[in-house]
Amino acid sequence: MRGIERIGIILASLLLAAASLPAKAQENIRIGVLLPLTGPLAKNGLENWEAMQIARDMINERGGINGRKVEYLQGDANTPNAAISETERLITKDGIKITTGSFASPIAIAVSQAAERHGVFHWETTGAAEVITRRGFKHTFQVGAPARKYGQAAVDFILNDLAKRLNKPVDALKIALLWENRAFGKSVGDGIRAYTQSKGIKLAYDEGYDQTATDMTPIVQKLKDVAPDIVIAISFPNDAILFQRKAKELDFNVAAFIGVSAGYSSPDLRDSIGDSVVGICVADFPPKVNAAVLTPETKKVAEEFYKRYEAKLKRPPAGHAAAGFSAVWALFTEVLPKAKTFEPDELREIALKLDLPEGSLVNGSGIKFTNFDWPDDPKDAGQNLRASIGVWQWTKAGNEEVFPPELATQPPIMVPLPDWSKR
Amino acid sequence: MNTIFQLVISGLLIGSVYALMSIGLTLIFGVLRVVNFAHGEFLMIAMYGVWAFSRLLGLNPYFAAIAVVPAMFLFGALVYRIVIGAALAKPHLVVVFATMGLSIFLQNVALMAMTADLRDVPPIFARSISIGGIFIKGELLLGFIVTLLCTVILQWVIKHTFLGKAIRATVQDGEAAKLMGIAVPRIFLITFAAGSALVGLAACVMVPLFSVFPTVGLNFVLIAFVIVVLGGMGSIEGALLGGFCVGVVQSVSAYYVAPAFGQLFFFLLFLLVMIFRPNGLFGQKGAATLGMNE
Repeated sequence: MRGIERIGIILASLLLAAASLPAKAQENIRIGVLLPLTGPLAKNGLENWEAMQIARDMINERGGINGRKVEYLQGDANTPNAAISETERLITKDGIKITTGSFASPIAIAVSQAAERHGVFHWETTGAAEVITRRGFKHTFQVGAPARKYGQAAVDFILNDLAKRLNKPVDALKIALLWENRAFGKSVGDGIRAYTQSKGIKLAYDEGYDQTATDMTPIVQKLKDVAPDIVIAISFPNDAILFQRKAKELDFNVAAFIGVSAGYSSPDLRDSIGDSVVGICVADFPPKVNAAVLTPETKKVAEEFYKRYEAKLKRPPAGHAAAGFSAVWALFTEVLPKAKTFEPDELREIALKLDLPEGSLVNGSGIKFTNFDWPDDPKDAGQNLRASIGVWQWTKAGNEEVFPPELATQPPIMVPLPDWSKR
Repeated sequence: MNTIFQLVISGLLIGSVYALMSIGLTLIFGVLRVVNFAHGEFLMIAMYGVWAFSRLLGLNPYFAAIAVVPAMFLFGALVYRIVIGAALAKPHLVVVFATMGLSIFLQNVALMAMTADLRDVPPIFARSISIGGIFIKGELLLGFIVTLLCTVILQWVIKHTFLGKAIRATVQDGEAAKLMGIAVPRIFLITFAAGSALVGLAACVMVPLFSVFPTVGLNFVLIAFVIVVLGGMGSIEGALLGGFCVGVVQSVSAYYVAPAFGQLFFFLLFLLVMIFRPNGLFGQKGAATLGMNE
């Protein structure tokens, strides 16, 4: 009996060893993808997941990375707490050394924290909060633009483009700033206020509101009395819809309306308010950019990505989905091919050496990361200085990038915005 | 001058919609002495019903009343049979936790079934009506009329029908009503179901005004509680007045102070009423303790 058992064990281990030998040669590169796949953020999370899957399929069809296929392991990061436990599960149980994701800032903060604690390399696609890269972390890289740049894009659009189109000197323009008073709206609002002050502009109206408000009458009436030329609004979908409906009801007209990401960029907006959405501008990640700024190779990749995404989801990608694809594609083509050990420290060295000009990524971004060498305080590390950000506009057919001019797919339409009676 | 008129009129109109959504709550509280913490979720379910009806059949959401009001009546009866009826016999806290649990349960079911997407119906009236510089939204005006009609009819039912008499008898003295041959549990069942049906009616008025999503009830349930308490718990005309108060206070204070404080002011009003008129503006003395489970 004993002898047979022993032989069995030896045979089994020989078999195992034999099986693992060829596998080792082309072992998959395993990457943990943390996204909100259920819960309130699921819609955007799933769109991001689709975009990332397209990137994985495209790289694997091209033969993988130095012959090794990319394999995703999913974690459902639907809340910051779930994000931490899912990240830790992927790291400790599955031995993941590289994580990516995670769509929303609170999720990104949690995932990167768990990853950093275990010394794991985290490649953040769209999380925007400033704090993500300001905690002294060594292995967190934020490929998308930080929150303050969203607001700056809106203000730059007014100063460098809209003022001319409206035939008004900048200091004669009345600009109103409306922000929802929780973390996202307040931080973006603070950023815009500081930026306009630095440019010597005084806001004609500057007020926060509660995003669960059920009646927008007082806000719209107040704006009506102020009669601004341009409104910059930071809202979530529900309050954005209520605001636009109330503006129509009370016949509140402006020459231009700029929403900042979030509610105004949500594809649902058109389902809710129909063609009233046409003409509204959104400061955000570019959903698509002028192909002329892209490097020839990126242009081809972009064409393939948009074709596949539209075939799969029956609509063009939103800015965050395009950003998700752009970021992981850069990871697959610029970072991982140069790696030998795939250890986080090696990946960090490669990432810090990246020096890609604008137009290298599908959404117009380049890559150059900070490394505690930026004059901000606290010091930034892993923030991409060449992340693209701009303003796009809702059109009848979909959306078009309108600012900055080098990324724009067409000049802004409907400037000034027609009155409600003509919309 | 236009501004203050606009604010007051808009406040009254939206206030009437708040009142309509609170009448069911006040009815249930007035008769059963049960605070239904799942009231907001009842509204959410009814709103999904109206939305689905109008999207699937391509009909005006107001027609959904034909289907949604009876459906909500049945839903209310079902909830009473399964949850409320059983909890009524137990200490008062059991009902509180039972309805709270129900609220969280329904929210999560909706999140799973419908996802977090916002659902809307296209506007009914293309433009708002403008009278001398004051703008009035057709959908809101219609809500105002429905609320007034609903209040009048409900009052008539309670004052002049046998069912209404039985309900009033149950409220005045449940034990004596039982001795007079009134089937009190049945009155409870009917009242709870009717309260839910009224939420269904409110949903028909609200769907053209507000987006539907799983947590939409949370935005309204606090307002409904304030209105019910302001108006005097269990008083229907009180709920109407409470709705007007909340609507106007919200819109005027948000304009003259700050939009972020709109809610702060009606809760302040709420506190003041609680301190100086603990039975609400229209409530009878001791209304909150009448017939309560010991």
